[in-house]
Amino acid sequence: MRIRLNASMIAVAAAAAVVGAAISASVTQSAGAPAPRAGDIAGRPNFSGIWQANNEAHWDVQAHAARPGAVMQPGVYPFEYAQVAAAPVVALGAAAGVPASLGIVEGDGEIPYTPEALAIKKQNAEHWIDRDPELKCYLPGIPRAMYMPYPFEITQSTNKIHMAYAFATTARTIHLDEVDPPPADTWMGHSVGRWEGNTLVVDVANFNDKTWFDRAGNFHSDALHLVERFTLATPDVIQYEVTIEDPKVFTRPWRISMPIYRRMEPNMQLLEYRCTEFAEEFLYGHIRNEPLVKRWEGETMIVDITRKVPPGDKFYEWFRK
Amino acid sequence: MRTRFFTVIAVAVVITAVAVTVNLRSAETSGAPRTAWGEPDLQGIWTNEFDTPLQRAARYGTREFFTEEERAELDKERIALLGRDRRVERGTELDVAGAYNSVFMSMKRTGRRTSLIVDPPDGRVPSMTSEATQRAAADRAFRLALLQATETCKNNSTACAGGKYDPTPSARRAEVVDRYNTGRMNRHNGPEDGSLADRCLSGGIPEFGTAYGGSFRRIVQTQRGVSIFYDVGQGQGFQRNIVMNGSPHLPARVRQWHGDSRGRWEGDTLVVDVTNFSAKTDFMGSRENLHLVERWTRTGPDSLEYAVTLEDPTVWTRPWTVIEEFTRQNDKENRIYYEPRCHEGNYGFPSLLLAARLADKAYADGRGPHPATHDNATDFVGVEENPLAR
Repeated sequence: MRIRLNASMIAVAAAAAVVGAAISASVTQSAGAPAPRAGDIAGRPNFSGIWQANNEAHWDVQAHAARPGAVMQPGVYPFEYAQVAAAPVVALGAAAGVPASLGIVEGDGEIPYTPEALAIKKQNAEHWIDRDPELKCYLPGIPRAMYMPYPFEITQSTNKIHMAYAFATTARTIHLDEVDPPPADTWMGHSVGRWEGNTLVVDVANFNDKTWFDRAGNFHSDALHLVERFTLATPDVIQYEVTIEDPKVFTRPWRISMPIYRRMEPNMQLLEYRCTEFAEEFLYGHIRNEPLVKRWEGETMIVDITRKVPPGDKFYEWFRK
Repeated sequence: MRTRFFTVIAVAVVITAVAVTVNLRSAETSGAPRTAWGEPDLQGIWTNEFDTPLQRAARYGTREFFTEEERAELDKERIALLGRDRRVERGTELDVAGAYNSVFMSMKRTGRRTSLIVDPPDGRVPSMTSEATQRAAADRAFRLALLQATETCKNNSTACAGGKYDPTPSARRAEVVDRYNTGRMNRHNGPEDGSLADRCLSGGIPEFGTAYGGSFRRIVQTQRGVSIFYDVGQGQGFQRNIVMNGSPHLPARVRQWHGDSRGRWEGDTLVVDVTNFSAKTDFMGSRENLHLVERWTRTGPDSLEYAVTLEDPTVWTRPWTVIEEFTRQNDKENRIYYEPRCHEGNYGFPSLLLAARLADKAYADGRGPHPATHDNATDFVGVEENPLAR
């Protein structure tokens, strides 16, 4: 600390002078342009802040009726619409249901799967618990991370825009400047952005084939290519639109759109949801020396639900209170 | 280095001359580059390009910097180690488990500092409180008990230092440890027996780098906002968002793996106060009471100084301070592994647990040895000793 090379001091001073020149130059340049709005970053709308979607797309991006359970099994009727909650969630009662939604898929609301891909989607839905990467706390991918029921924080600078997601404490950087492609496929994609007027347009590619769109088994391949559009509808609402393209899975590009809302709490901050730890029992419970879940048959968890109601809380007792 | 500095001087003189004649406004800014909105600019990908041990070797006393000759000599010594393949305890299971040599380590040139620690003046971690010393000794004793029946202790390996061989497996194998386990132990009953690193949960602050894998951080700023993404520990990176609105720390009952970071500008320095660490974290014995005060200062176009004071009166007898000097990395090349996907590829940890269950079963069926007689916890024993740490 105390020993400083004179050379580096000069270099610092020189750099400061250059930056100073750059600042004053940009001020001069923008003199004829409309006055920047408060909070703008270098003349662009500022998306910085903590945001969260408020919809049901994380359950199923397509329109759907409410369902009694995230996992279901046949009830007394043979009809699909009369299924009941299955063992893994039945103890949670009405808290384990799936809320209805009009969906976020534009146009006719259909996802243009190839016939082969549609068959895989249906299998995915049937094997949700075993296949959904969210349950394992794997990186959620884009666009799913944008509408999971967890907040995310945007830090917007001039050459980079960083998005940090509470789920799995993951993140992505949107490069507005020149950047080399990643050395390997990614879970979260490689995001390169540009401005079209006041809209931030982000091209996302270099995905692997391991992430999903929702808990309903909607999926893609490693050929996924997204074009996201972020527009401030009001200072506290982002209109978010994505064109989704994947010739290995879809017959044509399709689009989703939704508003994403600013978290308005004055003390709002991004808190961790470091779920790696939370998924350990789910992933490794069967290889404990003394399993906490009473019945594992190999890797199959047999959930025997024993729910003893304590005295005073039995249904009729509660009803009389 | 010297040649580079002369070039820098030459270029700097020219630029300064041009800048001063063209633009008098530059006098308003102080030394550091600034963002478009006028705050000090700390942005970019930063790493420590040099190797500096955390603690200073006793022979350097209170001397903070090496001479250039010493650095050259140390580099010569260290480079010589690169080609060697020192193996210890040939023919033992450790020879396989510790099958890492210097090829697996990243080695950088010797830095100018004799230690990262600048305070206390001897460059050493201050002595621990008696309470912390006792805790550490109890923890060590437990881990040694789990190793006692193994070849590692039989062969007097350094991994068994302080313990002794006893062919009878310890009764302590049945113990539930009284503090949350963060390190690897020679028992694999379930995920909690694993180290945080094996569970892909090790990335944390303070982050001073290790010999394995890089230590990069990307800083992105906005007005009243600072985001720092860490690429550390081979895919165990993590995200910090510094709260800059002047509000107090989180309530004490809200604990986080990466603490609660609240920052402010003091002149050109970003000062970040970090508390609210989870009791599941462990930095050299310090857990939920760890308190950090970080000072991030841009010292030049490509240099950033990071100073952090660590305080935990339940562990150390006084606060101590570390300084790291980071060098800016090329933005276009973008050599930062910003996707922390250790967990997504973690087949090693479940394999370890599964192997332990198979060993349990083999023993129960009379087909295999008592699992406690095998050391499945020790690695890196055969690695070359780093002359910097000596």
